[in-house]
Amino acid sequence: MRIELDRPRCEGHGLCEEAAPSLMHLDDEGELVIDRADVGESEAALAHAAVRVCPVAALRIA
Amino acid sequence: MWRRSRSLEGMTHPPTSDLDLFSDEVLTDPYPSYADLRALGPVVHLPANEVYALTRYDAIRAALGGWETFSSAHGVGFNPTVNEALMGTSLASDPPQHTALRAALTENLSPRALRGLKSQIDAKADALVADLVASGSFEAIDALARALPLEIVADLVGFTGEVRGRMLAWGKAANQVIGPLNQRTAESFPIAGELYQWCSTVSKADLAEGSIGRGIFEAEERGAIPPGAAGPIIHQYLAAGVENTVSAIGNIVALFASHPDQLALVRKDPSLVPAAFNEVLRFWAPINAWGRETTRDVEIEGVVIPAGARVAILFGSGNRDPLHYDDPDTFRVERNPVDHLSLGYGVHGCAGQGLARLEAHAVIDALARRVERLVVGTPTRIPHNVTRSVHALPVLEVVTA
Repeated sequence: MRIELDRPRCEGHGLCEEAAPSLMHLDDEGELVIDRADVGESEAALAHAAVRVCPVAALRIA
Repeated sequence: MWRRSRSLEGMTHPPTSDLDLFSDEVLTDPYPSYADLRALGPVVHLPANEVYALTRYDAIRAALGGWETFSSAHGVGFNPTVNEALMGTSLASDPPQHTALRAALTENLSPRALRGLKSQIDAKADALVADLVASGSFEAIDALARALPLEIVADLVGFTGEVRGRMLAWGKAANQVIGPLNQRTAESFPIAGELYQWCSTVSKADLAEGSIGRGIFEAEERGAIPPGAAGPIIHQYLAAGVENTVSAIGNIVALFASHPDQLALVRKDPSLVPAAFNEVLRFWAPINAWGRETTRDVEIEGVVIPAGARVAILFGSGNRDPLHYDDPDTFRVERNPVDHLSLGYGVHGCAGQGLARLEAHAVIDALARRVERLVVGTPTRIPHNVTRSVHALPVLEVVTA
């Protein structure tokens, strides 16, 4: 499974980072960095939680 | 969630209810009516309002995410005059037109842009709450829920002088006219018109130096946004940034006053502040109903909304859907409902939610540190077509921490 970011749509609300800090973070400029886009079975739930919580639907699972 | 129906044959019409979403009783206490509508189905036709209401969580979330089918391009209000007036704003457009308008609106409003403001807003909220607590009794809506967002939005956008005094009335009217053509809307159009007029003539020099508002005009000057786009953006900051935040902050005070056990949980574990705000938003949605228009026949769980129909999204009803939230009519801060519907979702998700969170978190944090219990009188409500808020809430006594 792969996490995909629609970069122009991301406004940096950071709720995904709270849901899945091991997979993504906001950098010092407030830009989202996906640390690990390819996610295994063990972290699938985290990835889905991060996608679900994005208030502007900028994340999706491909 | 839905699929294009090849033909309407064999498809059922949604159930019908004679409920009037905009009656005084429903506007001030919508939750019993919402439960009745949800029991009928995820879509209910309301002839009194000429709308199809979305009542359940899944249907609402899918509609908010599906702008191609549930379009904003014909307006998000419930009367043709307001829908025409909002044409060409990010509120009443869809991608691709919407994309650039949204970017201009959020460039200075996104959490990224607001990062530097947190400590300032925390300090303002804390000083305000400290003063009120020290005074021992106060009017919570005027002195806190209205005072804080007014000051923060006014300073941020750069409103000065007389305009600051008109912000509350303008914001209230701008939201009121989203409703159907009832008396509230009729009485509010002249006041909403004043705001509209002011925004169409306001210039860079009218806004404080270094403010976001002035920044919008500078963006227009350098061509980053189209000529004439700055005024409508200022309009949205004011129309959306005050009224709904006032509602949310008032709801924080009212809900913690009536649920001291929940305040105690936040006092014990301050990391619950964001969860508590999510639960306040879920439990009492600041916006009752918001509009969309279908671009095609849409099937939802076996019933069809016809193409070109006006849809009413009932955020608060979805937030109380027992199919999605366990024990939905109980206020529990530990629930942390991160996926509540009150701020919308997707391309039209609340553009000011970063600022709203900064303000609300600061208020909850200050209350939790300084207050053990608020003894309050009876809260009063005044029906409003769109925004549901506490109008007055006397705090009679503060039991301090």
